[in-house]
Amino acid sequence: MRSLRLFAALCAAVVSLTAVPARADLKVVATLPDLAALARAVGGDKVDVTALALPTQDPHFVDAKPNLALALNRADLLIAAGLDLEIGWLPTLQLGARNSRIQSGNPGYLDASRFVSLQEVPAGQVDRSQGDVHPGGNPHYLYDPRQALKVAAAIEARMSQLDAKNAAAYKANLAKFTQELQAAQAGWEKRLAGFKGVPVIAYHRTTAYLQDWLGFKTIAFLEPKPGIPPNPSHVAQVLGQGKANKVKLVLKEDYYPDNIAKLVASKIPAALVTLPGGTDFRSGQTYVQRLELMVGRLEQGLAGKGE
Amino acid sequence: MSPLPRRNPRALAVVLAAQLSASATWAQQSPPATESPPASEDTPALSPEEMEEIEKALGTDTSTRARPSGDTSPASPTATNDSGVTPLKLPNAISGGTNFLNLSFILDMALAAFSNKEPLQGGAHDPTKNGFNLQQLELSIGSVVDPYFRFDSNLVFSQFGVEIEEAYVTTLDLPANLQVRAGQFLTRFGRINATHPHAWDFVDQPFIMSRYFGAEGNRGLGVEGSWLTPLPWYVEVIGSATDATGEATARSFFGAAAERVLSPLDFQLTGAVKQFFPLSDDLSLLWGLSAATGPNATGYRNHTSIYGTDVYLKFRPITSQSSQQLVLQAEVLYRRRQVPDDVLSDWGGYAQTVWRFSNRWATGLRYEFGSAAKTLEGRVANDPLDPEWTSDRQRITASVTFWPTEFSRLRLQAATDRVGWRESPDYSAFLALEVVTGAHGAHAF
Repeated sequence: MRSLRLFAALCAAVVSLTAVPARADLKVVATLPDLAALARAVGGDKVDVTALALPTQDPHFVDAKPNLALALNRADLLIAAGLDLEIGWLPTLQLGARNSRIQSGNPGYLDASRFVSLQEVPAGQVDRSQGDVHPGGNPHYLYDPRQALKVAAAIEARMSQLDAKNAAAYKANLAKFTQELQAAQAGWEKRLAGFKGVPVIAYHRTTAYLQDWLGFKTIAFLEPKPGIPPNPSHVAQVLGQGKANKVKLVLKEDYYPDNIAKLVASKIPAALVTLPGGTDFRSGQTYVQRLELMVGRLEQGLAGKGE
Repeated sequence: MSPLPRRNPRALAVVLAAQLSASATWAQQSPPATESPPASEDTPALSPEEMEEIEKALGTDTSTRARPSGDTSPASPTATNDSGVTPLKLPNAISGGTNFLNLSFILDMALAAFSNKEPLQGGAHDPTKNGFNLQQLELSIGSVVDPYFRFDSNLVFSQFGVEIEEAYVTTLDLPANLQVRAGQFLTRFGRINATHPHAWDFVDQPFIMSRYFGAEGNRGLGVEGSWLTPLPWYVEVIGSATDATGEATARSFFGAAAERVLSPLDFQLTGAVKQFFPLSDDLSLLWGLSAATGPNATGYRNHTSIYGTDVYLKFRPITSQSSQQLVLQAEVLYRRRQVPDDVLSDWGGYAQTVWRFSNRWATGLRYEFGSAAKTLEGRVANDPLDPEWTSDRQRITASVTFWPTEFSRLRLQAATDRVGWRESPDYSAFLALEVVTGAHGAHAF
């Protein structure tokens, strides 16, 4: 009997000590670290933000680890990139989370793609013979600061709706972030002005928004179809196109293998630029710093100083 | 369980017809506008050395080289996923925009060869004879019912019938981290029992599952409640009550005997605790403890209890670019059966490791063990379920898997079965194909 009581006391102690960490007003979970960085910028110290994926991870293929469901279980707001980018893992986590607040359709679920000017929305029917085509449009929109700003505004609106007493703080944070990002954007555009019309080769279809912003032309992809790994005959064709068009840059994310991109870049020859896959949110990087890093690498690549 | 009674073929036919007509209209659509990059005007030929270098980096093309441009035969992204089946990128294509039902078909077939005339393949989806085997054609239908319920079902077509493998509802909106499932479902005893063949790393089921639970694995009509504890790490507590009958689903319990339920003790009661430890970003550990108890058919109030533990250790580097994965999975089960004037006990299990060494390739090795049933005095018992099982059985299996995309896989598997009560070891080899079409959702970790 005594040991039972002791056990109960121990359980109570463990639960009360560990289950209630630092209290933020709003617990936010974002699928991608970029979205987490935007949520942090808008929420400031009023929110507690967790990112499910790492920037070094291909966002299409994240393991639905149970500890991610645990994060969702305790969340007030889930921010997803949408457009079926997370369809392979997020639904399982949402169902396992036992949290009706963050189920699709409820105020605690924010599909960020709804606020973006979409690129590459398929005109006709799609099926899997075309590879990993996203029927709703290209989901890699956070490479473009203009789209990020729209997403940040949507996050502010949703946070203010869920947590009205801090609405003023969220508005102020958004204004500050907007100012900071727009100032930086003007600088970036000046530095990357030379990108207009430049032909590039990309690994995956991640450059749609970036090229819309900077004005370069992606003439070929190393993947024969989205999501299908490069094969020799396709790569040979791409290499031929690269040579014919005098491609200056080969772009890939750091979560894609670099052997073939390196080979193609060296054969053309062009500069290889490894784009950050996302914000390094855990180590405190901000979205502006992440874009700064990307712009720096692009600038170097354009100057012929790739990897 | 028994094949679906012919009572309700019409509903199924409607579903099938809907599916077929949808796919037919879909097929008739003109090929969609692929936004392929603008082809360059002239592509200079590569030198043979350059081609050789590319092939050295990538390996030579297999099927893809022969494809004419404009070929629209199925091809899809290769995933790095533990089950080989994952995301589905066109939910709207099938349902025409209104996404009420998720439908998918999964076909498993195998070409098999056995050295023994009567191979000991206990699983209902195992290849069992020389030549071609249809392992299963599974139709999965799932949907959210309303804000409170989700419905999932798996209907399995074999060559001679249809079977309701699973059909259950899951609650979506219970308070206090609770979730309830009701209907016919696979119990969450251990790791492999609750999963379907397309989530298995090997072509056949570990023999311990068919020996203890039956060819289909442990399942039944019933209710399950689960609770996600508020502890700082992932701890899920599960309890279920299911009917204890079914030769292929509860054979250590009532099995084929048509016993009446007279008290709550005549149900199979199952309990499990699952814990997850993210040891690092790259390394994860899932550990489960399970127990099931229920009446057996050997006499009044005789019970069977089965205890099990399972571990799943997965190494998948995500902090740097890599397509490798290494998975270690093991389960051990222990069974006690009350029989007239005695208690029989035996144990068994399996341990397997699968190494995905590149994006599309994996290789695996599995070891299985099963002991003979012993009496209280420690003598080999006269087992009422498996009378021939008088000594240990071991099986060693090796396999190689190739995923053209994550929606299809080809497997080559070979095994040697050291059956203690047979004079010589048995050998077997399978070549298996699996394809998944439709909106089959993601798998749990």
